[in-house]
Amino acid sequence: MTKGMVYKLIFIISLIVFSVLLILPTVGTKQMEIKFSPQAVEENFEAVKNRFSSSDYEITVNDRIMIVSGRNITDAIMNEIRTYQGVVDAKLLKHWVEKVFLAKKINLGLDLQGGMHLVLQADFEGIQKKLGRELTEKDKSEIAQQALELLRNRIDKFGVSEPSIRPRGYEAIEIQLPGVKDPSGVKKAIGTTGSLEYRLVDDKYSALADNWFKQNYKDKKLPENYDEIKAIAEEISKAINLPDNLETLFFYKKDETTGAIIPERPIVLQKEVSLLGTDIQEATVDRDEYGQVVVLFKTTAEGAAKFAEATSEKNHGRKLAIVLDNKVRNAPNIKETIASGSGNISGGFTYEEAKTLARIIKEGALPVDLKIIEERTVGPSLGQDSIEAGIKAFIVGIIVITLFMIAYYKVGGVIASIGLALNFIFMVATLSLLGFTLTLPGIAGFLLTMGMAVDANVIIYERIKEEIKKGKSVRMSIIAGFDRAFWTIFDSNLTTILAAFILFQFGTGPIKGFAVTLFIGILSSMFVALYITRFVYEIISLNKKIKKLHI
Amino acid sequence: MEKSIDFIKYRFAAIAFSICLMIIFIAISATKGGLNYGIDFVGGYKLIVKFDDKNINEATIRQALSDFNPVVQQIGEPEKNEYIVSTKLASAAESVAGSTTSSKFDMLKSRLFEKFPTAKIESEESVGPAIGDYLKKSAWKLAIMAVIMMTLYLAFRFEFKYSVGAMTALLHDVILSVGFCGAMGIEIDIPVIAALLTLYGYSVNDTIVVFDRIRETNELKGKLIFSEVVNKAITQTLSRTIITALTTLFAVFALFFLGGEVLHNFATVLLFGLVIGTYSSIFIASPVVYWWDIWRANKK
Repeated sequence: MTKGMVYKLIFIISLIVFSVLLILPTVGTKQMEIKFSPQAVEENFEAVKNRFSSSDYEITVNDRIMIVSGRNITDAIMNEIRTYQGVVDAKLLKHWVEKVFLAKKINLGLDLQGGMHLVLQADFEGIQKKLGRELTEKDKSEIAQQALELLRNRIDKFGVSEPSIRPRGYEAIEIQLPGVKDPSGVKKAIGTTGSLEYRLVDDKYSALADNWFKQNYKDKKLPENYDEIKAIAEEISKAINLPDNLETLFFYKKDETTGAIIPERPIVLQKEVSLLGTDIQEATVDRDEYGQVVVLFKTTAEGAAKFAEATSEKNHGRKLAIVLDNKVRNAPNIKETIASGSGNISGGFTYEEAKTLARIIKEGALPVDLKIIEERTVGPSLGQDSIEAGIKAFIVGIIVITLFMIAYYKVGGVIASIGLALNFIFMVATLSLLGFTLTLPGIAGFLLTMGMAVDANVIIYERIKEEIKKGKSVRMSIIAGFDRAFWTIFDSNLTTILAAFILFQFGTGPIKGFAVTLFIGILSSMFVALYITRFVYEIISLNKKIKKLHI
Repeated sequence: MEKSIDFIKYRFAAIAFSICLMIIFIAISATKGGLNYGIDFVGGYKLIVKFDDKNINEATIRQALSDFNPVVQQIGEPEKNEYIVSTKLASAAESVAGSTTSSKFDMLKSRLFEKFPTAKIESEESVGPAIGDYLKKSAWKLAIMAVIMMTLYLAFRFEFKYSVGAMTALLHDVILSVGFCGAMGIEIDIPVIAALLTLYGYSVNDTIVVFDRIRETNELKGKLIFSEVVNKAITQTLSRTIITALTTLFAVFALFFLGGEVLHNFATVLLFGLVIGTYSSIFIASPVVYWWDIWRANKK
């Protein structure tokens, strides 16, 4: 072996080891941590244990914390467990590989784990009627953004963790909710318009509430579920003896990376509503004379009087909270009386923050009705059936292909089959790195690529056979075979890659998964055939005396 | 030296066969009222329902839901008693009032529970007409884009005559595969579109392997005339063509028989397409290159 070949060997082996590590979180056992409340009784524990009674799972209990390990643990199951009585929280624990290599695991699509997929659109016609004018494209995209903001604000009402909300095109919004139990409840929560109010903040009690909160919840993570947050708010109200005319709510912040709206700290407001969302007419982002980003707003005619009252001298120095769906999203200071019906909110915002605030204010001014234009719900048992069918088809398909290759090409077939196995590992590893979601068409894509992946081997082997027939030595035939096959394989695969790329552009959920597997599968099969298999044959042809090749 | 098989000899028979098949498919599709678009593209609802009551069958479900004029079809093993119930948004009047879509869907579901208390909904889909229309347009747009991009790539990598041959074969595959869907009444939904695009990629892939060899043989042809070059190239790549088609077919067969209901149409379309795609690279694509070559020679 030459020095170059040794390096190649080291490279290939480390690549394989790394890939195997990367697929561990996906194919290995997963762990879920379930926290029980202090009030949970033995029956509550038993109910959860019964859910995982099959031999696929292992359970350990340590005081109020239960750890369930097993292969089949998904977000949908986690969300199901959260609805059990006595359970405070359930979350999937990260595999050590996920922590060390920042890899993700391959998640199951909603068609495999069960869940709800919705596509929503703002009701443009209704808004046109309210406004009494045609909407421009710019209005529409602005309204779609507003609707996105609204949904993020209420996602916790769905009682689902790991939700995904993202815009699809500029007109529609796609929501994925794994393991949702109550589709009609979700639809109801989405169908109602947001309620926006402006209420005065009580600084004295806010400070008390904040103190109590810091002492009791200092290091704890706040729950995502709105009902639990509400319970904490009530607990605080009781602890600080809040008078009847006041109410504790939570101040929410937008997480910059995920876009999720998360509770931050308690704040005490007057129950009396100073202004309604509809009292404001317009809100825009601008810069003031000092170059600071501000939100400009204009009130309606009736709004102007209410606003003058709310910002009158006695309230100077107080804060006016902007409350959307009972969540405080901002609380600017009142500096001066605004009687003219227009003013601005400043507060060292970034441009993005200001835009979000303007959207919230506009949401109150012009409530957006959301319409469900596409809905797909898959029950957990159908999901289970699908994944079983998919895996069965995959295994049977692979076995038949492997047997055929070995029967036809003998040793060459064995090498091709090992290549197939490597191809599989590389594919899963790449998809893990990308945090891919596996869907049923994705499984089909996997199997199909496996069927097509051997093509590269077939082209090479047939070529080598021909070269041997022409009377070349085995060594020369191998070299000529690989060299001549290279461009054929490259050209022919490129067209399939084009098809996959276009499918990806078109793709909605499951089909995108199919396109990605096809794309990655072709790339990795080319790498395996043209690099690794070639290396194996280079080693074989080191033996100069070799007279016969079993292909 | 191995003897070449004279594939070019069968060019007229092959073209006649393909044209007959196209006419048959198109005629059957026409009698069935054109392509059967699924709810993904026209809007509508689809339920997969399971019943405990063994007395329920397709006819009783259809009867109970007759106001909604649904398509009812049993799926899976008979003892599972599972059915697909779907209705499309047929009339334009319905399509206009988009917001009524979900309420009508709720009506259908409540009727179902009222008549069959044992019904269990395994999955439900509802697609509004606007999004269906949008999906349909983008599916067509992308299918056309795929063809254009492949043509461009071929024109870049090969001589023009090969591009013509490959695209004729692709067009042939598109017409036959879509015609097949129409004739068999296969519902065109998003997975079927995915299957169609995949097999176009496969078909062109297959053609390129043959063309690559024609080009190579042509460069060192010696005394061979072009038809002999083509025959020789096809013969030399024949075992590769067959083996790759077989391994891919094994994969598709596994999906067809074991992949479950969701993938059934997808696998059916692929199965037919693979056979057609393999056939077309030998019997359609190569003769076209041959004709184009003769035509160019005569012009000079």
